[in-house]
Amino acid sequence: MRLRRELGMTVALCVMALALWWSNPDFLGRSNVVNTLRQISMLGIFAIGIGFVIIAGGIDLSIGSLIGLTGVLVAKISSTGPGGLGHSLWTGIPLAVATVTMVGLAQGLLVTRLGLQPFIVTLGGMLLVRGVSQTVVQGGTLSLGGSPLLRLANGGVLVWRGEPLVPYPLLVLVAVIAASVYVLHFSVFGRYVFAIGGNREAARYSGIPVRTVETLTYVVSAGLAGVAGVCYAAYIGQMSQQVGIAYEMYAIAAAVLGGCSLRGGEGTVFGIVIGSAIMRIIDNGINMFEWRYEDEGGVPRIWRLDPNWTFMIIGAVILVAVILDQIAHDLEDRRRVRRAAAVAAGEARRESAGP
Amino acid sequence: MALPAAPVPEERGALLSMSGITKRFPGVVALRDVSLSLARGEVLALVGENGAGKSTLMKILAGAEQPDQGEILVEGRAVALDGVGAARRLGIALIHQELMLAPNLDVTANIFLGNEPRHGRRGGLLAPLARARLDARAEALLGRVGLRVAPTTPVARLTPGQMQLVEIAKALSLDARVIVMDEPTSSLTAAESEHLLSIIRALRDGGVGVIYISHRLGEVLALSDRVMVLRDGKNVGERTRAEARVDEIVAIMVGRPLDAAYFRAARVDAPGPPILAVEDLVVAGADARVSFTARRGEILGFAGLVGSGRTELMETIFGARPALGGRMLLAGEPYRPRGVRDAIARGVYLAPEDRKTHGLVLPMSVAENTSLPGVGGYGRLGWLDRRTERRVAEAEVARLKIKTPSIRQRVVNLSGGNQQKVVLGKWLAMSPRVLILDEPTRGVDVGAKAEIYRHVEALSGRGITILMVSSDMEEVVGMSDRVVVMRERRVQAVLSRADVTPERIAALMTGSAQPPPCA
Repeated sequence: MRLRRELGMTVALCVMALALWWSNPDFLGRSNVVNTLRQISMLGIFAIGIGFVIIAGGIDLSIGSLIGLTGVLVAKISSTGPGGLGHSLWTGIPLAVATVTMVGLAQGLLVTRLGLQPFIVTLGGMLLVRGVSQTVVQGGTLSLGGSPLLRLANGGVLVWRGEPLVPYPLLVLVAVIAASVYVLHFSVFGRYVFAIGGNREAARYSGIPVRTVETLTYVVSAGLAGVAGVCYAAYIGQMSQQVGIAYEMYAIAAAVLGGCSLRGGEGTVFGIVIGSAIMRIIDNGINMFEWRYEDEGGVPRIWRLDPNWTFMIIGAVILVAVILDQIAHDLEDRRRVRRAAAVAAGEARRESAGP
Repeated sequence: MALPAAPVPEERGALLSMSGITKRFPGVVALRDVSLSLARGEVLALVGENGAGKSTLMKILAGAEQPDQGEILVEGRAVALDGVGAARRLGIALIHQELMLAPNLDVTANIFLGNEPRHGRRGGLLAPLARARLDARAEALLGRVGLRVAPTTPVARLTPGQMQLVEIAKALSLDARVIVMDEPTSSLTAAESEHLLSIIRALRDGGVGVIYISHRLGEVLALSDRVMVLRDGKNVGERTRAEARVDEIVAIMVGRPLDAAYFRAARVDAPGPPILAVEDLVVAGADARVSFTARRGEILGFAGLVGSGRTELMETIFGARPALGGRMLLAGEPYRPRGVRDAIARGVYLAPEDRKTHGLVLPMSVAENTSLPGVGGYGRLGWLDRRTERRVAEAEVARLKIKTPSIRQRVVNLSGGNQQKVVLGKWLAMSPRVLILDEPTRGVDVGAKAEIYRHVEALSGRGITILMVSSDMEEVVGMSDRVVVMRERRVQAVLSRADVTPERIAALMTGSAQPPPCA
C-alpha cells in the first residue's frame, strides 16, 4: 500500500483525539482547539519544507536557526522599540524571508556543486545562523510590542463571540499545503524530487537536472522556514536567540511519522501534515489528559501526566511508529520473495518437463 | 513541418558509426582504436570476455563517458556526445545491466522520467504533469513491448524481466533510433528471455538499430545480423550471421595462447583427503541444489558468467547468506555456519569479489586491516594490543611482499594488487583451512597477478584448500586442479585438469555445449 503509513497515522491521530476528548472534554473546547490548530499550522509549514529535502534524499538541520533568524531580523528591522530600526513591516518581512532563503540557496549549492554532505553543511549553517541571531539581539531580546504583526498569529477569520475560529497561521498552512501538493505531487519538479530520492543514478541517466532540482529543495526548505519564522515572531513577540532551537528535530520527526523515509524517495504532503498534527497533539495532550477516579475513601481525584514525560512520550511514539512500519515492510518483502520463488520453481519445472 | 528528407543513398545506410575510439583510465587503456558501425534495422551483437571494454564503449555511446580520441557519426553527421542528455536527444538509448529505474515510482513515471511531455509553451520545472495522458501513452508503449501490468504499478513490484521491458518502453518513448542492451537476459527466466528476443526482432523490423551485448552465444547467433568481438579493448574480429560459428567466436574471444610458465606446473602429488564437502546445498535465490567436494591442498576453480551464482554460493559457504537446505561437511564434521563468525571460527575465510566494499576498510592502515579479524584475540580484557598487531602486519607484509612505505599507510593509497595482498594477508595471519578467493586478480596488473598466483600456489602446498572464483579464463585454466563450471546457478560440470580447455569451459558456461552425462 502506497499510503499505508499515512492512513495508519490518520487512524492513530483520530484515536488519540477521541481518547483525549473522552478524558477531558475541554480538549475540544474552543480555546484549546484554536490554540492547537495554530501550533500544528506553524509546525506544518516548515515540516513540509524539510519534506522536500528529505524526499530528495537530503537532510536540513538549519531550519530551526533560520526560523529564529527570520524573527530576529523582522524585529530588528521593524521594531519601534529599543534596538529596532523602525522600518515598515513591508520592508522587514520580505527582507528577512529573502535573507533566509538565500542561506538555503547557499547551503544547496554547497551540497550539490561541491558535493559536501548535507548533514555537515546544514549543521554548519545551523550553528552559524544561530550565532548571527545571537549577535543581532546582542544576547538580549528585541520586542515587537505594539506591532500590527502580533495580530497575525493571534488573530484570524470567522470571529465568533469576539474570538476568531480560524487563526491566520492555519490559512497560511492551507496555502502552503495547496502550493506544495501541486509542486510535489502534480508537477514535473515533484516527479524529479522523488526520482532523485529513489535512484539518483537513474535520475542522472534520464537526463534530469539533478543538481538544480536538489539545490531548489534546500531553497524551498529555507523559504518555508522563513514563512514559519514570521508566524513565530508574531506569536512570541519577544525575539531572543532562543527561538526555534531544536525545531528541525520536530520537523524531521513530523516528516518521518508521516511516512517520509530518510533514505529518500518516499513521503507525501498529507502525511507530513498528519505527522505535524500528531506531534502537536501529543504535546497538548500531555497537558490535557486526565483520569478521574475515586480513592478508597470515595474521594474523587484526578490523575494527570507529568509534563516532564513529554520527550519520553514523543520519543517512544516515533520509535513505535518506525518499528511497526519496518515490520510491515519486512512482511511484505518476504511475501513477495516467496511468490517470486514459487513462480521461478514453476517455470523450472515446466522447462524440464518440456521437449 | 519538416521538409521531405534528402533521399538516403542506401536504404540500409549507416545509422551510427564510431571510429578510432580510445579511452584511458588511470593505469589502464580500456579501449584502443575501436570502431563500430550499425545500420538501420540491424541487430549487432557485441561479445567479449569480462573487461574486454564492451561496457565502456557503450557508456561512451550513451554520453556517460567521454572518449579520449575518436569520432562518432549519427546518420553521417559528426556529433559530440558530451552528456547523457545529448545522446538521448539524438535518439540513443542505453539499457544498463543494472537497470536504471527508480523503484519508488510507478511504471508511467519511470517510462517518461526526464522526458515528461508538458503543457504550456516552454514547460519549466513547475509545469503540471499530464498524468492521464501519460498513463494512456504508457499503456500503448507497454502494449508494444507486451507487458501486461497497469501503468500505475510501482516498479519495485515488478520482476527483473518486467523491469527490462519497462526500460525498453522508456527507450521507445524517446523514439530511440539506436537501442543498446547490456546483458538484458542475464537475470531473466527462459520464458522472459524468449519474449524479450521477440520484442527485439519487432524493433529491428521497425527500423531501430540494436546493439546487443551478451555472453549467451546461442542467443547471440539466433538474434543478430552481425557479431563483433572485443578483446582487451580492441576489435579482434567480426562475422556476419552466415559466417559465425560458436566455437570460432569463443576462440576469438579467448584469444591469446596461454603462457604456461606464468602459471603453476601440473601437480605431481596425489590429492589429499576431502576437506569441504557440499551436498545438495540450496542457495537463496537459486532453484537448484549444488554439490561438490574440495580436497586438502586443492585449488578448485569456479568458472561461469557474471550472475551464474558463484558469488552467492561462496557467500553461503562463508556464512554471509543463509543456506536454505542441504548440508556441508568440514573435515568430516558437520558445518552449518549461522553467520560469518561461525565460518571464521572454523577456519573458512573469504577474500571477496568487491574488495573495496567487503574486503578492506579503506581509510584504515595496512596494519589495522591485517589485524581486523584477529585483533580481538591478541590482547586480554579487550585491550587493543598494538604491539602484536604490528608484528603480525609486518610478517604478512614481508611474506606477501606488499609494496607499502609502512604498515601505517592507509590502504586506500595502495595499488589494486597490493590491496588484494592485504586482503590475503588478513586471512593468512589467521591460519585458514579453506580460503575462498572471489576474483582474486580483478583490476590487478600483470606483475602483481603473477605474484598472487605464486602465493596461492604456496598456500595450496601448505595444505590449504582454495576455492577460486574467476572470470579470467586463463587464470581458471592455469591455476586450478579441477574446475567447477556453473551456469544459471547450477553446477554444469566438474572438469579435471586433464579435461580443461578454455573452449570447453566457455562452451559449458554459455550453454552451447551440453554437460557430460556423468558430471
